[in-house]
Amino acid sequence: MTDTLAKPLSRRPMRTVSLRNLRAHKVRLALTVISVLLGTAFVAGSFVFTDTLKKSFDTIFASSDEGLDVRVTDYGDYSTGVPLSLLPVLQKVPGVRAVEPQIDSDVVLVDDSGKKVSTGGAPSVGGAWVANGRIRDVPKLVDGRAPQHPGEVVVNDGAAKKYHLSAGERIRVVVPNEAVTDATVVGIYRVSFDTGGYLGALFSRDQAMSLFTDGSHYTAVDMAAESGVSEKTLAARVEKVLPAGLEAKTGTQVRDDNSAGVSEALGFITYILLGFGIVALLVGTFIIYNTFSMIVAQRQRELALLRAIGADRRQVRRSVVFEAFVIGVIGSLLGLAGGLGLAYGLHALLDSLDMGLPSGGLVLTARTVVISVLLGTIVTVFAASAPARRAGRIAPVAAMREEFASASAASLRRRTAIGIVVGAAAAVAAVAGALADKTSSAASLTGLGLVGVCAAAMLLSPVFARWVIYPLGRVVGRPFGMVGQLARTNAVRNPRRTAATAFALTLGLVLVTGIAVVGASMKASINKMFSENVSADYVLSTDAGVAVPVAAAQAARTVPGVQSVTEIHELLAKVDGKARWGAAIDGPLGSVLRVRMEEGAIDTSGRKMIVSRKIATERHWTVGTRHTFAVPGVTAMTLTVTGIYKNDDLLGPWAVSGDIYRALTPKNEWSDDVALVRAAGGTDLGAIRAGLEKATNDFYVVDVRNRTEFKGMVAGQIDGLIALLYGLLGLAIVIAILGVINTQALSVIERRREIGMLRAVGMQRKQVRRMVYVESLLIAVFGATLGVGVGLAFGSLFARTLRGAGMSTLSVPWGQAVLFLVLAAAVGVLAALWPGFRAARTPPLSAIAGA
Amino acid sequence: MTRFNTITPASTAVAAARATDVVKSFGTGPTAVVALDHVDVELQRGEFTAIMGPSGSGKSTLMHCLAGLDTVTSGSVAIGDVELRGLSDKKMTALRRDRIGFVFQSFNLVPTLTALENITLPMAIAGRRPDTAWLTTVIDTLGLRDRLSHRPSELSGGQQQRVAVGRALAGRPEIVFGDEPTGNLDSRASGEVLRILRESVDRLGQTVVIVTHEPHAAGYADRVLFLADGRIVDELRSPTAETVLDTMKGLES
Repeated sequence: MTDTLAKPLSRRPMRTVSLRNLRAHKVRLALTVISVLLGTAFVAGSFVFTDTLKKSFDTIFASSDEGLDVRVTDYGDYSTGVPLSLLPVLQKVPGVRAVEPQIDSDVVLVDDSGKKVSTGGAPSVGGAWVANGRIRDVPKLVDGRAPQHPGEVVVNDGAAKKYHLSAGERIRVVVPNEAVTDATVVGIYRVSFDTGGYLGALFSRDQAMSLFTDGSHYTAVDMAAESGVSEKTLAARVEKVLPAGLEAKTGTQVRDDNSAGVSEALGFITYILLGFGIVALLVGTFIIYNTFSMIVAQRQRELALLRAIGADRRQVRRSVVFEAFVIGVIGSLLGLAGGLGLAYGLHALLDSLDMGLPSGGLVLTARTVVISVLLGTIVTVFAASAPARRAGRIAPVAAMREEFASASAASLRRRTAIGIVVGAAAAVAAVAGALADKTSSAASLTGLGLVGVCAAAMLLSPVFARWVIYPLGRVVGRPFGMVGQLARTNAVRNPRRTAATAFALTLGLVLVTGIAVVGASMKASINKMFSENVSADYVLSTDAGVAVPVAAAQAARTVPGVQSVTEIHELLAKVDGKARWGAAIDGPLGSVLRVRMEEGAIDTSGRKMIVSRKIATERHWTVGTRHTFAVPGVTAMTLTVTGIYKNDDLLGPWAVSGDIYRALTPKNEWSDDVALVRAAGGTDLGAIRAGLEKATNDFYVVDVRNRTEFKGMVAGQIDGLIALLYGLLGLAIVIAILGVINTQALSVIERRREIGMLRAVGMQRKQVRRMVYVESLLIAVFGATLGVGVGLAFGSLFARTLRGAGMSTLSVPWGQAVLFLVLAAAVGVLAALWPGFRAARTPPLSAIAGA
Repeated sequence: MTRFNTITPASTAVAAARATDVVKSFGTGPTAVVALDHVDVELQRGEFTAIMGPSGSGKSTLMHCLAGLDTVTSGSVAIGDVELRGLSDKKMTALRRDRIGFVFQSFNLVPTLTALENITLPMAIAGRRPDTAWLTTVIDTLGLRDRLSHRPSELSGGQQQRVAVGRALAGRPEIVFGDEPTGNLDSRASGEVLRILRESVDRLGQTVVIVTHEPHAAGYADRVLFLADGRIVDELRSPTAETVLDTMKGLES
């Protein structure tokens, strides 16, 4: 007893009250913790995932390019290679210890059963076996022997295991220009830097030269310096002997470039994941806000009592903030753990899809911990700050009052006024963006508008709630009579709370619907573009890393009934000094593509070219002007503009003849991006198709598709991307559902006496449950309606801003929009299952005060 | 006081509510508290009964058990000829809805519904239309005609409690229970509510049972039951505030 008396409430009574409160309300705070957890998990997960991959890749680069001091290579994306004749010159550079030419190229392997080996996203590369490397470790043979003669190949053990290749197996190799080569696997090798799904096929040097080079160029030349000569010194010396178009990079530079390339590729993933993490946290904000608002409202008497016995405003406010702080820290720490799990899961998922990811332990940096925990905690404390201020304002006399008034109408009026102003300004920005000409600034202006409209929607949603829920409730609630009416009035009883609950769903659905509109428009535009502009009967293309072999197009030409085959090549050239991708054409153009000429005529013969209106305007080109086409280190030529066509996404900025392509591209790279087949009039399309398939079958990688199938393939790719985004946004929806559960659960607790009274005067349990379901359904459908509405509007606006980038058609997926609303209704009911169950169990005696 | 029964109970032989040998205890073992200790009580139709007793005497528990809001530990409770023990929650709820009216201490109205909607709430829950003639009679008795479209927040405490009484009477229940119905009201409003309950008994033939600790309120009743320590210890017929007060003084000493 004396012990107890000696230790009264502690020196920090308010903190003790806060902590006891947290402990007393574990269940109702659990959902809040989960919402903080989910948001921070995504933020932490995105960091962990990219850090882990980055570190693994860096390790690989460091080991694969160990000992490399200087690499001689061509500039940028040009693939001219290093002339063979340069090798003796390089060997004579003072300070060189070793010189090793590199040969590699993308290949597709066909196993002995005639099946293409698909590595998914992982590299599938062919190269030369280096028997006595003097720069780096040579790959170790683990089975069989090294390739010595043409037709012999060794593959890495990871791929051999994964793709069931074994020594002695007869395979085929598809390379762009040589088409198909037979080979026998004579050995299996191992390298230290194997990544998941990676396939390396190494040939004897001579065969690699003939398969992967034009016979006069290496892909690159690696050099090692004598001891005492720094890589910088050597690079400077090498640079002096290099012809134009080539450069000497130091080993450090090569590794840095590789690393930067990975960072850039990973950056995309990081930003997407971070984006979703932030959306999730934003959605979580509303749940945290709601929870604290309701807790403060329910504890009003208790807080007033604290005020009455001497706690000042600041102490009361801080006690609520402290609770939020504790929840924020717990939630973000759990989120950090969740992030590790997420990163692990994502890695496992991508690995199972053969994305060529290296394996390695998860990397958790201090930055990840600090950012995740800070972000989670700050968001929680921020979301709870308004309820905390409200708690501080509770008058001590409230401890003596029975009933309490909720939000005053006046503050709602100010909120509405601000909402109208913000909304109007944002709408103007959005529409201005949609009407603007430049795609980039238009999109950012519309994006700004979207943020503004979302903010306005949030501010105005207490008002909208009444507008939507009243009429909707009349329709939905009618079959339930009084129960429906009670649900309807309950749903708008506290408009702020309804708004905050519904807005979590709104935000998720704005994004989902917006993406649906942009995706549908993208598909419709591509569909339209193909329908209107492509008149070819069949399209030859590949899904593999290798383009259509030129020989495949040649074979297609010999199929009976084929009138013409038009090959389209991609060409990178410096045009008037500026590097740009364009198209090179072999075969008739007008009969397979509808090119709408605005000036001049379609003539790409000889040194003539046609250009798009866009580039003509941009660079002030007109019919008759002459421009230099150059590939550094290869050649330069002058072409004359003969015509200007209406912007065309299939052709790009300019189109030249295939001869120019061949003049500017090394022979080993020659291939077709696509080949378009036109059937002769009156021939049986089915027979032609069979003929084309037979003719291209030997090339393994070539797919024959008619226009509908080709469109379907492109649409499928877009659908895949949309599905990925939906999957990630699903998280925001999950958090929103948690929010609805949370709000319903808390409001059921809050209305315990009222529900007890309803039970006392004869409301059946079933009816109580139904009342909670309908209320929740109305809130969910309201949030969804607002979200789908804003999403449709902004999806359309964004689609419009992208019209310069080929989005010519706006397609609004109404069916999908309705589906979202129906799903929202289902989600609403689902979220109310548990709160409804709890409400139904309220004993009628709860109606009596104190019971 | 003149009796003007517009409704005569079908059979005077059956009491409106009856408790037989009712025991109600809370908790188990050594911490168990016996709230009702073998109570027998019969409430007659068309009578206004007040249950009185000091705090903790079990008066509220008795009413809760009689009204089907709470279950008994042993013994039996009947409303009319319906035995409450063993009724499913569904049947019990329907019984409360259709045959019992409640008036609570704190007015317990649905804040989002108007006065009229609150009055007709039990019938609406049952999906029945109210009897318009009866409703008019009730509303006029309550003096609420010009307040029907108001929300509870726009009504005074007395008016809110009159709405609550209206809700209890509107369904023509067999019996109306009031749990300290005037506990939250000032003396003027409390007098109004008690007069209305008295009138409902006299003019409409209603059976009314209230729990109260105010001798003044008990003075409106036909019969007062006194509880102490979970037993009925005394009973008064045709009481006045003074006789009630005297009896209570006698009990305390």
